[in-house]
Amino acid sequence: MDKKRILLVEDEKDMVYAVTLQLEANGYEVLSAYDGREGLGKAKKEKPDLIILDLMLPKMDGYKVCGLLKADTRYTKIPIVMFTARAQESDIKLGEELGADAYITKPFEPQVLLSKIRELLEK
Amino acid sequence: MKGKTKIKQDKPKQINYKDLVYKYKLLSDLMDCVPDVIYFKDKKGRLIMVNKAHAKGLGLKPGEIVGKTDFDFFSKKRAEMMAKDDMYVLKTGKPIIDKIERATRADGVDNYVSTTKIPRYDDKGKIIGLIGITRDITRRMHLERIKEEKVRIEKRLEALEELNKLKSEFISTVSHELRTPLSIIKQLVMLVFNETTGPINEEQRETLKRARGNIERLKNIIDELLDISRIERDRFRLHYSLVNINELLRDSSDFFKKLAQDKGISLNYYLPKKQINLFMDVERVNQVLSNLIDNAIKFTEQGGKIKVEVKLLEAKVRIGVIDAGIGIAKSDLPKLFNKFAQVSKIPRVERKGVGLGLSIAKELVERHGGEIWVESKLGVGSKFYFTLLRFYTVSVLDKHIKDRINNFLDKGISVQFINLVIVNYREFKERVNVKPRSLFKDLKEIVDITFKEICRSDIEEPRIIQTDILNGKCSIIFPKATKKKATEVAKLLKDKLKRYFIKNKIEDVFIALGVLSYPKKVHPYTAKRLPVSLSIKEIYIGPEMRRFERIPYKANIKVLLPENKTEVTQTVNISEGGICFVSKRSLATDSQIKIELELPKNKKTIHVKARVAWIKEIGRLPGQAVNKYKVGLEFIGLKDKDRKILSKELKL
Repeated sequence: MDKKRILLVEDEKDMVYAVTLQLEANGYEVLSAYDGREGLGKAKKEKPDLIILDLMLPKMDGYKVCGLLKADTRYTKIPIVMFTARAQESDIKLGEELGADAYITKPFEPQVLLSKIRELLEK
Repeated sequence: MKGKTKIKQDKPKQINYKDLVYKYKLLSDLMDCVPDVIYFKDKKGRLIMVNKAHAKGLGLKPGEIVGKTDFDFFSKKRAEMMAKDDMYVLKTGKPIIDKIERATRADGVDNYVSTTKIPRYDDKGKIIGLIGITRDITRRMHLERIKEEKVRIEKRLEALEELNKLKSEFISTVSHELRTPLSIIKQLVMLVFNETTGPINEEQRETLKRARGNIERLKNIIDELLDISRIERDRFRLHYSLVNINELLRDSSDFFKKLAQDKGISLNYYLPKKQINLFMDVERVNQVLSNLIDNAIKFTEQGGKIKVEVKLLEAKVRIGVIDAGIGIAKSDLPKLFNKFAQVSKIPRVERKGVGLGLSIAKELVERHGGEIWVESKLGVGSKFYFTLLRFYTVSVLDKHIKDRINNFLDKGISVQFINLVIVNYREFKERVNVKPRSLFKDLKEIVDITFKEICRSDIEEPRIIQTDILNGKCSIIFPKATKKKATEVAKLLKDKLKRYFIKNKIEDVFIALGVLSYPKKVHPYTAKRLPVSLSIKEIYIGPEMRRFERIPYKANIKVLLPENKTEVTQTVNISEGGICFVSKRSLATDSQIKIELELPKNKKTIHVKARVAWIKEIGRLPGQAVNKYKVGLEFIGLKDKDRKILSKELKL
């Protein structure tokens, strides 16, 4: 079976480093982007199996990226996991309305992220 | 014109003296009745006429003043100043109006006066003296001073509030900013810990385990800070759901038992057999509970015992966390639930956290409509309790609704009553963009349709529907209906409401439907008073029957306290199950006391044993030496005879 490809859009380089290592150790291929616009471009070009999207991103925020992808029939099926430092209801609500498939509040347990990813990829 | 003047001058003798005397009387009455000092001075500053107020102010009689000058009564300095003003008016012909000066009265009291001096002219228009009025304005000045002070304080308060707001925002920003690096640290540590980056030895694992523990600690502190800043900025929202308390405690037990075990502490949970479902924000209530248990473990030595208990009270559920740990000093108890409070008797090294846990717990419990309190003794241990509301729909009954129900009952008509309450209305209103007006219009319609479907035309008396858009309530009164009918209405209403909310995609709404049956008070034919047996059913919370109705009620109560002390006070409300009263003493939860209750209507006194079920501290007013507590008692072993007397006393 081919390795599943995950696009990680996150502006904190150290976070990208840590999550990439974890995902790779669990048999995923990781693509990364450091701002919203780059993330959107990579998502469209590479069509990954799943996208991990940070909320607060330079150039274009996570909501916008999520909304644009979910509104486009070509990408609407790609599951999106949202990262947020805020566990606020309003954020989660807005993300869900835009079609995010899962939410993970920072700081998080690596196991939680991995099980969410597994769950979404199996769907 | 000229002729007229001539007539007057020609006939001076024809002056009507009676009229003159009358006018003089009017003038002198005016002068003497006015509390202001009034005087006439000639050009040399001699007083030619003064009123009574003037003389009184100097402690003299008017006659003793006439012909003298200010120099005869006042200090040289003061008199010179007065003379200067006099000269100004006399020379320039310009009046001095409302000149405010500080003065010392004859009796030595400092006051403020307003002085007005107006020149007086003779027929030819030459200044011949002046008229002066001096008014004591000490009071006015005092009021003005207070007003100024008030404005100043208000301004300062505003600035402080602004500062406080900035502080809350700052805390919020900082906590958010701290979270990002913290979560990166966590990921990096976990990479090594999980051996993603390669194998590690036991010592390295132990080291990282400790690092992890401290990351969790830091995370908890940041979360507390965020909670506080949200509470302070009123951004704190509860997310209600129907929760089984027993399950909540079982989860808590699973988590904490291991933690306690590691420290060599025995932690036991005592749960009621009955399943209790309550409306609550389960995350938040769990947070309160966890905070209390965590504290108990923290302050209990190895080999100690901790007890977590749940007690079903009349209209509340009480949860207690009881430890035999180090306890809390009496002086620390009042500030325990304050923000940033740290208990002084604990060595600094053992204090953990920023002291926000209990203040957050208090806020959370109070937002749920409950109370939180503590009883503790240094070296003996602490008992923390908090309560959550049962029978939500009854606790929010408005007075005017009660009055309407009473009206029917007084006429000998039984009443069924449904109280529909949107429990999470405040949160709901903000989150879901629903227009309360249209929502309640729809609600009313649904109630109407439901009613028609069930009742058709069996009920002659019209139903009464009252909506409270502000608080998310809808009250439906069915006079003459049967309990069965009301329950049917409530059940159908529940289904219809559910469908309505699903259809309109309105989520996260929690409604409590209370069905209250009020039987007839008086037998319609014999006019005999029937025993009151109110039953309450709350849909969504489960078909639990509330045992008793609490009634606001003032009666004298003598509380026989331990150590042979007594306290006489008044009850706040009363039911067949217990009473509530205000006490100057903090009573121990679950302690047993005896009370003497004077029932004013029956004119009887009953002696009852009771147990302290809950206690709430009522804020101490400035200058008040003692705290006051609202105490809930539950009767134990109420005799049948006394029960009858009590239920007779209690009408709706």
